[in-house]
Amino acid sequence: MNYTKQIQDIASKLFTEGKIDIFIGYQQNSFDDNQVPVLITDPAEIPKLVFSDKSVFNLTNYLKFEHTKNKRVGLVVKGCDSRSLNLLLTEKQVKRENLYVIGVCCEGVTDDNGAKAKNCEVCVMPDPVVYDEILGNPSGKKPYRVDPDVAEVAKMPLVERADYFEEIFQNCIRCNACRHSCPLCYCSKCCIDQETSTLYNGSNTVSSAVHALLTWSMHLAGRCVDCRNCEKACPSHLPLHLLHKQNEKVIFENFQEHLSGMIADDRGAFYKYNQKDPDDFIM
Amino acid sequence: METQEKEVKGSVQSAENPGLTAPADWQPVIIGILCNWCSYAGSDLTGTSRIQYPPNIRIIRVPCSSRVDPWFIIKSLQATADGVLISGCHPGDCHYIAGNYYARRRFLVIKNLLNFVGYHENRVQFSWVSAAEGAKFAQVVAKVTDDIKKLGPLHRYKKENF
Repeated sequence: MNYTKQIQDIASKLFTEGKIDIFIGYQQNSFDDNQVPVLITDPAEIPKLVFSDKSVFNLTNYLKFEHTKNKRVGLVVKGCDSRSLNLLLTEKQVKRENLYVIGVCCEGVTDDNGAKAKNCEVCVMPDPVVYDEILGNPSGKKPYRVDPDVAEVAKMPLVERADYFEEIFQNCIRCNACRHSCPLCYCSKCCIDQETSTLYNGSNTVSSAVHALLTWSMHLAGRCVDCRNCEKACPSHLPLHLLHKQNEKVIFENFQEHLSGMIADDRGAFYKYNQKDPDDFIM
Repeated sequence: METQEKEVKGSVQSAENPGLTAPADWQPVIIGILCNWCSYAGSDLTGTSRIQYPPNIRIIRVPCSSRVDPWFIIKSLQATADGVLISGCHPGDCHYIAGNYYARRRFLVIKNLLNFVGYHENRVQFSWVSAAEGAKFAQVVAKVTDDIKKLGPLHRYKKENF
C-alpha cells in the first residue's frame, strides 16, 4: 500500500487549480520511520507528502481546529477515517463543499512494531465511504466481529476485572490527549474541563480519571469509529479501545444498528429508538 | 474476644473488594432518580397510601428519565451511594412522548459499561413505575435495598473531597 506518488500528484493539481487552501497529509518523521500528520499551505512543500502502511493517524481530527474550520481543505482518508468524516458531515461540523477527499482503499496499517495494527484485524470497512477520488481497489464490507480483547476481559470474574481496570485507570495522567486526538470530540467547551464543575476537580485522583474516561466513552458510544487515535496519543498506553468496543458490542448486539458512520445522515444509536428495544433489564 | 468474633461473623463483605467488610448493622445508601411525571408521583402515592418501604433510598426528582445523564450514575457511585435506582414512566407513557425510549438505550449501555469496568450488575438498577403503582414502588425499593445489602458497601473509586 504505497500511494505517495498519486497523492503528491493530486495535491499539486488541486493547488494549481486553486481548489484548496490547505492539504492535510502524512510526512516522514525526522527521527524514526513512523509518519506524522502535516498541514501544507505552500505547494513547494508537496514533496514532503508520503503514504504507506505507516500512515496510521486519522486526519479528520484536524478538521475541528480554528485554522482549518472554514478553509477549503484537501485530505487523505482511509476506511475508518472516512467513517468519522461521514459523522462530522452528518453532525454539521464540516461543509462538504469545502472538502476535497482522497479516499484510500486500506489494506491495513502497522503499529509501532511493524505488525498489523490491532484495529485492522476487526475492521469492518477498509474502503472509504466518502470520497472525491479513490485510490486502490475496493475490497468491500466485512462482517462485524467482537473485539478479541473485549471478549477476553469480559470473561474474567468480577473482582479480577475490577482490579484489572483499576490498574489501567491508575495509570491515567489526565492529560486529556485522548479527547484532543479524537476527531469526534469537537466541542469547544468540553464538559470535562468546565471550570465550575465539581465533577472533575482534583485531577490527582483515580476516581476523577474513571469519571472522565467513562463519561467520554459514553459520549462516543454509537459514534466511535475505532480509528484508535486516542490510543496512539495516550502517553500511558492505556487500552482505551476496551471501553469503546464494549459499548459498540452492546449497541450492535441489542439495537441492530448500522455501525457508526457507515451511511450518510445516520447519527448513531442514541439519536433514535425502537419500541422493541430490549427491556428485560428494567423492573 | 467474643464480641470480636461476633463482628467478623456478622460483617458484610463488599462484592467488588472481598477483603473489605462493614459492620453487620451497616445500612446502604441508595440514590433514587425518579421522573417527575410517573415515578415521583408513584413514590408520593406510596407515602400517602402509608405503604412501608426501606428508608435507605434518597430521592432526586428529574423532569424525565431521559434527563438522566450517565454522569449522574457515575457521580452517585463515586460519592456516598452504594447503589443507584433509576425509574421512569412505562414505555409509551412518557410525558414527552418518547423520552424513555431514548433513555432505555443509554441505560443498557451504561449498565453494561459499569459492569464491564468492575461494578456489580446489581449496583445500578432500573424500573418503570407509573403514578398509580404506589405498591410497586415499595416493592422495587425493597428489592433494590435487599440486593445492595447483599453486595455490601462500595469501595471502588470513592471520591473523598467534593
